[in-house]
Amino acid sequence: MGQRVWRMERDRARFKDIVKGRLREDLRRYLSSSELLGRQGQDVISIPVPAIELPRFRFGSNQGRGVGQGSGEPGQALSGEGRPGGGAGSAGERPGEHPLEVEVELEELAKLLGEELELPNIQPRGDRELNTDGSKYTGIRSRGPRSLRHFRRTFKRALVRSIAEGTYDRDRPRVVPIDIDERFRARRTKPKPESSAVIVHMMDVSGSMGREQKEVVRIKAFWIDTWLRSQYRNLEVVYIVHDAVAKVVDQDTFFRVRESGGTKISSAYELCLRLLRERYRPEDWNVYPFHYSDGDNWSARDTERCLNILRDDLLPRVNQFCYGQVKSSYGSGQFKKDLDTAFGSDERVASYSVAGREEIPEALIAFLGKGR
Amino acid sequence: MVGGNLSGRLAYEAARAEDAARGVGLDFFEVHFELLDARDVNAIAAYGGFPTRYPSWRFGMDFERLQKGYGYGLSKIYELVINNDPTIAYLVRSNSLMEQKLVMAHVMGHADFFKHNVWFGPTERRMVERMNQHAERVRDLIAEHGQDTVERFLDSALALESLQDPFGPLRRTQRAERALERALRPFSRPSEVALPTFDLLPFLIERAPLEAYERELLRIVAAEAEYFLPQRLTKIINEGWASFWHSRLLTGGLLDASEIVDFADCHSGATAAAPGQLNPYKLGIELFRHAERCGEDLFRLRRIHNDVSFVDALVDAEFAAQNQLFLWGRNGRTGRKEIVERDWRAVKAELLQGLTWGGQPRIELVDGDFEGTGALLLVHRHDGRDLKLDEASEQVRTLHGLWRAPVRLYTLQEGDGRVIVADGVDVRVFDSTKAKRFLDGGGAAGTTPSETGRSSA
Repeated sequence: MGQRVWRMERDRARFKDIVKGRLREDLRRYLSSSELLGRQGQDVISIPVPAIELPRFRFGSNQGRGVGQGSGEPGQALSGEGRPGGGAGSAGERPGEHPLEVEVELEELAKLLGEELELPNIQPRGDRELNTDGSKYTGIRSRGPRSLRHFRRTFKRALVRSIAEGTYDRDRPRVVPIDIDERFRARRTKPKPESSAVIVHMMDVSGSMGREQKEVVRIKAFWIDTWLRSQYRNLEVVYIVHDAVAKVVDQDTFFRVRESGGTKISSAYELCLRLLRERYRPEDWNVYPFHYSDGDNWSARDTERCLNILRDDLLPRVNQFCYGQVKSSYGSGQFKKDLDTAFGSDERVASYSVAGREEIPEALIAFLGKGR
Repeated sequence: MVGGNLSGRLAYEAARAEDAARGVGLDFFEVHFELLDARDVNAIAAYGGFPTRYPSWRFGMDFERLQKGYGYGLSKIYELVINNDPTIAYLVRSNSLMEQKLVMAHVMGHADFFKHNVWFGPTERRMVERMNQHAERVRDLIAEHGQDTVERFLDSALALESLQDPFGPLRRTQRAERALERALRPFSRPSEVALPTFDLLPFLIERAPLEAYERELLRIVAAEAEYFLPQRLTKIINEGWASFWHSRLLTGGLLDASEIVDFADCHSGATAAAPGQLNPYKLGIELFRHAERCGEDLFRLRRIHNDVSFVDALVDAEFAAQNQLFLWGRNGRTGRKEIVERDWRAVKAELLQGLTWGGQPRIELVDGDFEGTGALLLVHRHDGRDLKLDEASEQVRTLHGLWRAPVRLYTLQEGDGRVIVADGVDVRVFDSTKAKRFLDGGGAAGTTPSETGRSSA
């Protein structure tokens, strides 16, 4: 920062402290809900920049009109719907009033996510953490094939030697390397963490999970996948939906399917367990099951069964089990209570209850913040 | 003449741009160009164009947003120019030479507009120093009263900054006997704000039971808001004027033949309108081109108009058709935005309503001692657009904090009367036939008759 505007760093730091809740708590309630994933499609993702908007006298919702420019007949919908249409009065009064929309590579996105939520990197578990293909030519040695000769290093050695021997002539600077001067590039092998992981997304699609609830799950699943993909080289994702019975589906179906009927959560856990036994054995895979539901299980007995499967079979096989409860107008949320009672202190279980999109960041921190 | 920290090629181009601008009849104060890194330009932009402002999280927030936008390659500030004598403009170091030329010519247009447009007449022309003084004064007050206290008060004051009569400064200068009085009292305000008034902020400065330092902060906020006011009123015409001239000057000789294509790309980017939206640059430049075709005196237009009167004077059937203007509305069934009609009168009426009163709701103070209780009575001059009630309530609460006695605001919601009342305890909203009668029936002076003539409940 140049001399003239160095004070800005203080204002910026103050703003960040307010956002983080360290200062001026009176302003927290004006903090705009930072939606982590506004719109995803055609690789465009909106990145939130937190903003505090103080109340003002302004016009309300009965103002759904404005002037636009372009072709089209009356009755035709505006293209580019979804962004606030600009009447001349509102257009560009200040720079950047709209949420920023950015095209980002997924890898970069994961980095941003990690920074924003201060997520720890994952500690690979067990003894499978070494493999050997991460090597680079960063070393130097004195024997090697001609093709790997390090020209500059070799001549540097020769120069040093000739100066030491007193044969170096400043006026005729000729340096001839001999055998002991030769230097060669060498492979250095760096141990890299073993990097296979599988995510099992399980979703309750019983009648009580509405569109908004599924949207919350979709956003959450997207960010979880993005983050874990940045941590593991080889990531597989399995989708399971369940009402009273569970089945494996593809990604598209997972988010679109509309089922109804009762809810037997154990059906999903059993299916998950079968997958872990047959295809994703914990000796070879880091396993991350996620289960999303509104928390209304069919019966207390089935819940009992779920807890048993978890305790005896699932937890020993997984890195972490996450349960994300989505509040709906029908759900009682009982399942989370039962889960917390049974596993409240268990490091391997993370649960979080989400009322709406704006709480997704907190849920992600709860799920991914342990670095497991 | 052109000053600043430019050297070499840029200094040469700045001199050429100035010659070309003077050649076509533009006239301005001395223009200082400063070449800065993008980060510094972002910081200055966040400070509203000035290198120094008082400490506040708000500037930090705007800076953060600009920096992120720049970092992600989304937005970039091309030009930043401040109304001051000398006029000061910033060039971003990373811009190409063609872009710098464009910015220079564009800046000449703004500089001419600042000097000659009548709405800028009453503005402080030594604002850089003034901002500096304000910043230093606020820092002193922070040292004395603590940052949280001062900042909290500034936040309240800034929330109210739009509660000034947008036409007040001009009216006041016209009223003042020009030369002498202005020389004696450079910032003349009438000694007492007469009711009813839209000048709520000046009223509070004069009459609210404030601590001395609070009154001083309020004065600072009011002075800065008054300085920025004409820019809010002249966005379209000012940008239009600058774009009209940068286009003309660059294609009229400032550009190298090899730069024409890049220029066209850059220019059309700046004046592009997203589908269904209006770009003030585009609207402004097209209005000037239209005026030129109609044989109008462009220099006279830029002298006398603000956005409202400019649109009112120039938008006609031909302009609306040529620019494919339409009125959009929300389809009640689907919730989608749709083209409603293309009739130019409807389009123009909507444009004017959006621009009028600086795009803000009109809040008038009609009584400073309501029914002898010491309460303030405010009236929202309803023009068909309802207020957002929750935010309006917060504002009434903020006003109560300054006035330290009850504050009430009359408004309409979907045609029904409402009164927002803030007392020492709380802020509440009530149905109010009194408010309805007051707003429909005319009440005190300066009223707008209701458009439907519904009988009061």
